[in-house]
Amino acid sequence: MKAWINGIGWLTAAGLGQGRETTEQPLCPGSLEIPTRKQVFAQPDMRFGRLDEFSRIGLAALAFCLRDAGQEEWVEKRPLGIVAASRYGCLPTDLAYLQTMLPDHGKLASPNLFAYTLPNCFLGEAALRFGLTGNTLVLNQADRSGLAPLRYALEELIWSEQQGILAGVCDLAPPADFANGKESPGSLFLLLDKAPRAGVSGYGKLELQGNKMMFAGAEVTDLPTLVKTCLTVK
Amino acid sequence: MSRVVISKIATVTALGDGLELLWQGLLAGQSGISPVDRFACENYISRQAACIPDLQAPRHASLLDAILERVAAQLGPVPSDSRLLVASTKGEIDLLTTVCREEAKIPAAVLFEPLLAKIARRFKLTAVGSNINAACASSTIAVARAAGLIAAGQTDAVLVYAADLVSEFVFSGFSALQALSAEACRPFDQQRKGLNLGEAGIALLLMSEERARVCDQQPLVYVAGWGAANDAHHVTAPARDGSGLVLACNQALAKAEIATEQVAAINAHGTGTIYNDAMELTAFNAVFGETLPPLHGVKGSLGHCLGAAGGVEIAIACKSLQDQQLPGTVGCLQPEEAGQGRLSAESQQIAGDYLLCSNSGFGGINGVVILQGGA
Repeated sequence: MKAWINGIGWLTAAGLGQGRETTEQPLCPGSLEIPTRKQVFAQPDMRFGRLDEFSRIGLAALAFCLRDAGQEEWVEKRPLGIVAASRYGCLPTDLAYLQTMLPDHGKLASPNLFAYTLPNCFLGEAALRFGLTGNTLVLNQADRSGLAPLRYALEELIWSEQQGILAGVCDLAPPADFANGKESPGSLFLLLDKAPRAGVSGYGKLELQGNKMMFAGAEVTDLPTLVKTCLTVK
Repeated sequence: MSRVVISKIATVTALGDGLELLWQGLLAGQSGISPVDRFACENYISRQAACIPDLQAPRHASLLDAILERVAAQLGPVPSDSRLLVASTKGEIDLLTTVCREEAKIPAAVLFEPLLAKIARRFKLTAVGSNINAACASSTIAVARAAGLIAAGQTDAVLVYAADLVSEFVFSGFSALQALSAEACRPFDQQRKGLNLGEAGIALLLMSEERARVCDQQPLVYVAGWGAANDAHHVTAPARDGSGLVLACNQALAKAEIATEQVAAINAHGTGTIYNDAMELTAFNAVFGETLPPLHGVKGSLGHCLGAAGGVEIAIACKSLQDQQLPGTVGCLQPEEAGQGRLSAESQQIAGDYLLCSNSGFGGINGVVILQGGA
């Protein structure tokens, strides 16, 4: 089970970025600045301002990942999927929605907020903007390594028709009741392609060997280390 | 490639506990949709939902606990090394609503990690697994992944567990979106006016044929094909041309290596909303053309069970293949023109070995599973 890493993009406490423009590993503790449309897309976009914060950070990281891989522009829809691992999902949006629902026994419940209380909705936003017709889902799993979505994608690429999967993590800062100050909030995605891409100098081959994930001849133990290695070897 | 079987099923729905009771209720044209008494509905556009009878939870516990207990007791033992794939869209959302209403501290239990651990513990599994959140296609996609993993030899047993609740959180949201029907919903009917919510718990044990033999499990059906695709069209509305569903159907047919005329029946998503049902009929006509088989939807009986919908419908499809019958689509009195001759409020006889199940959801996602009978 193997795939080629052809793009990396993120929005973290380190800011917005993409792999080919820096050598600094961006997954770090700190506060997250929610991006504006201008920081992510050059063109005016009516929808971006309506998105909840969870969707904005996820969409921003996916945009930068595809940009990094030279895949942001498209003409024909393409069989790329998305696997986004999340611990808290859209819990902050759930809480915001409840603030509209509870006070008046549902009379003022916000339909716009409710639409974003399904964490996979931002994947739909990404799919329609970038023409992605693969499988799109949010993954919840106890996983401190950050590698679960990559493992999921590597397994699925073997038997699915998708040519690639954008796999990564997406989490806002946790609500106060869960915060411990050590979190690295944000969103980071890697484009894992089934085959090398013509005209793209990738970061390298990611491989599952039994339970071990291997990259550049060494076992990968966590997502920050993998990203750091990618940014170093590129 | 290993052949994939479903060897055990447990269901808890508005039509009672157990697949046989559910099946008999569907054949009798029963509906579990009735006025909700779980929360006040006077500010919502509907009072109707399909709630599981006698579902109760202690204070500051989720109703999901009661569903899990009833499903697990019904399913019995499963191999402890089975992978666990859970499909739930909102998990213990009733608990979150309660603590927010009381302005209490938010417990970790509202996250998916403790829920996964709880489910794994109840089924005595060694690994805690993961939750797949793909809106209303969650459990279909979980079954598709389970089948893909087993067929490719990446594992040989997967427990798919799916559950979602009728909660005020979701009910109020669909009401705010004007998506609820004030009356019992009427999937694929010309006069349909929206959906009714439902709730369910479902467990499906998938195994390689070889592992099932070793475990002395009789296959109920085979999982022959699967597909998943995004419309890449809109976040909450389906693509009018059904392009994502067409793609997912074609992937599943290719995986099953069958022609459209070999599909004996379709269990459609059939929410009862104007756009979903029209999209599905467009897609199925595009895929099947003149070979469009009989089709039905069960949400007029069970409501829309969200992340658990696909799992319940796959369980029902197993019975359809075994008994060669397709339950009627409750509420479908005047079928949409594109489904006429294929849809009926009465049960239909079918003849064949393959049945296609599909679900579509917010975020533009579509999931399809093709089951094969004759196991």
